[in-house]
Amino acid sequence: MDVLTSFERLSDEEKYEHFMKRIEAGEKIEADDWMPEEYRQTLIKLISMHGISEIMGALPEKEWVPKAPTLRRKLGIMAKVQDEMGHGQLLLRVAEDLMKPYGRNREDIMQDLFTGRLKFHNVFHMPAPTWGDAGLIGWLVDGAAIMTQTNMLKASYGPYARALQRICAEEVFHAQHGEAIIMALAEGTEEQKALIQDSLNRWWDSLLMFFGPASADTTGSSKQDITVKYKIRSKTNEQLRQDFFSKYVPRILSLGLEIPDETMHYDKENETWVYQQPDWNEFKNIVKNNGPKSKDRLDLRKNAYDQNAWVRKALSPDNQAI
Amino acid sequence: MDETGKGFYQEFEVFSKRTFKSPFQHQFSLLAPNEELAIVMAQENFMRREPVADIWVVKRSDIRMLDQEEREGLQRLDNKDYRNTKGYGYLKKKWRDYEQNMLDEKEILSWGGDD
Amino acid sequence: MKTVEEAKQDASYKSALTELLYQLADDDFIVAYRGSEWLGLAPHIEEDVAFSSISQDTMGHATMFYQLLEELGEGDADHLAHGRTPAERKNAIILEEVNGPGHYLKEPRYDWAFAVVRHYFYTLAKKIRMESVKQSSYEPLQHVAVKVNMELYYHHMHWKTWFMQLTGTQGEARERMLTAVETVLEDFGGVLTLGPKEDEITKHGLIEGEEFQRKRWLQEIKPIFESLNIEMPKALGMKRGNGRAGEHTEDLDSAIDTLTEVYRQDPAATW
Repeated sequence: MDVLTSFERLSDEEKYEHFMKRIEAGEKIEADDWMPEEYRQTLIKLISMHGISEIMGALPEKEWVPKAPTLRRKLGIMAKVQDEMGHGQLLLRVAEDLMKPYGRNREDIMQDLFTGRLKFHNVFHMPAPTWGDAGLIGWLVDGAAIMTQTNMLKASYGPYARALQRICAEEVFHAQHGEAIIMALAEGTEEQKALIQDSLNRWWDSLLMFFGPASADTTGSSKQDITVKYKIRSKTNEQLRQDFFSKYVPRILSLGLEIPDETMHYDKENETWVYQQPDWNEFKNIVKNNGPKSKDRLDLRKNAYDQNAWVRKALSPDNQAI
Repeated sequence: MDETGKGFYQEFEVFSKRTFKSPFQHQFSLLAPNEELAIVMAQENFMRREPVADIWVVKRSDIRMLDQEEREGLQRLDNKDYRNTKGYGYLKKKWRDYEQNMLDEKEILSWGGDD
Repeated sequence: MKTVEEAKQDASYKSALTELLYQLADDDFIVAYRGSEWLGLAPHIEEDVAFSSISQDTMGHATMFYQLLEELGEGDADHLAHGRTPAERKNAIILEEVNGPGHYLKEPRYDWAFAVVRHYFYTLAKKIRMESVKQSSYEPLQHVAVKVNMELYYHHMHWKTWFMQLTGTQGEARERMLTAVETVLEDFGGVLTLGPKEDEITKHGLIEGEEFQRKRWLQEIKPIFESLNIEMPKALGMKRGNGRAGEHTEDLDSAIDTLTEVYRQDPAATW
């Protein structure tokens, strides 16, 4: 008689129960632990999208790396865009380990990006035509990103939580880098001041969309309930958006800027910010790679990947000269 | 011959020491075609803002890891005070009877002198 | 050995010194720019991150050299980097060359083989120069050379690894590498030259002469080329002219245009 109950002998229900107990107890799930298929799929989708968004997010700012107006700004923005690539690296490694059981790796992630199967964040489909945008992205887009990322620092999936720990520590520098650019413009000439207001007007709707729809009713689908159930995140999209308003609206106003939404105000009774909803159909359209810059940026990424294919082929271990 | 270039993506685990005194610490993993390229990319990927005194890269497939069952089997009972100073705390009182101080951990480790 | 004040009082010395500093600063500035254009486009994400650190270090070195010029009364470092016309620049032509056809934002057909070869050869030359100016007669330059040199160990190791590995393969990759080697060597004499003012520069003991630097470079590259079975170059050319004499290509014009796009909007403003 076999007196040992191996973990492998448990039924799927028993494994699931064991898994949920661990999550409830605040334990961290590791890459090769048993996990329900829904959990794995949700994580793959969430983290590969997060990772590829960092990579694609380097592109709108990359434009401003050589153009930055001083040596110090050139260095600062180079370091910042480098970090975005670095964050993409961390996150893609986490996603790659999750998809390993399916025999998939980075090559597949890149191909999924190029075919449109893998989406990237709405903000990175938008144009960044001025130096003001370089500052505003650092200040507010990164500010919004910090909100969503710190919300997952305690994620039940250990590798993701550890990657986020590293990322959030660097995001603090990003936010300050953005603030420094904005502050210099805000205290500068009339033309410089106009640059920020212009950028804010351009990015406002994208910033609201950044947090995603408030509920599935808005766009027909939302993963937020599953991610809350599995303790990957704690706050909802709308809570995060409200937090963002509370932290950033007073700062925006203090610099003498105007919020491009006349209806925007704080409702003290309900303790919520009231604001004009962005066009969520437009959001759906943008993330389907139909945004103003979607095609250009995908082309840029694909072009770079294809141009350099010879390098990866030449150094693949089964193809090396002896 | 590998036409896809997929073989380029080998997994390496990266470890580093912050100072010459500190122990090696696991940082993260990266993809590289071989250990030489893994090592030239390691520092800038994971230690851009901190001092580094040494770096190791290890091919992941060369690491024997525990599986989930083995990991969960690492727990043990809290009945081993004979193994710790906690189990010998009564000596303090005994030595006092002989008008001597107990040579506790703090005392013994101080014999090596200050750094 | 001279200090800032002593250099300022000796017109002939100062003229030779500023000439050398412009060469060092402009070389690093433009090659760091070419490196920064690769950001987001390298063959591999991990490499993208590593390469960017090298570009940042190099831009940091350019900044230190521009600051030495600022101390000598040549003007503000940001102005020196952004406010000078292409004709006033002293960088070698091979360092201003585009990374490949296309634009960094639109259909870049960048050549990784060219990037590896150019950066590897340049880093080797820079190491030789920094070793030499560690003994320079200008004290502040000595100090900067010691600092710059600290970061070059890694740059060299990084580019040498890529160079050895890609050239050491067979087939397409090796072909691409050999083509890039040929292209870079045709103009690499421009990096190792001290230009029309060489005599003044060496007379004042600022750096060793170009003949010496060329020899050292060839001596360093020889065992590498031999191990990879590459023929040693017969000459290190200046096919498209001497950047030290202010001769440049259209590639520099468009680079300076991009580099100064925001700065030019208001050079007096605080950015």
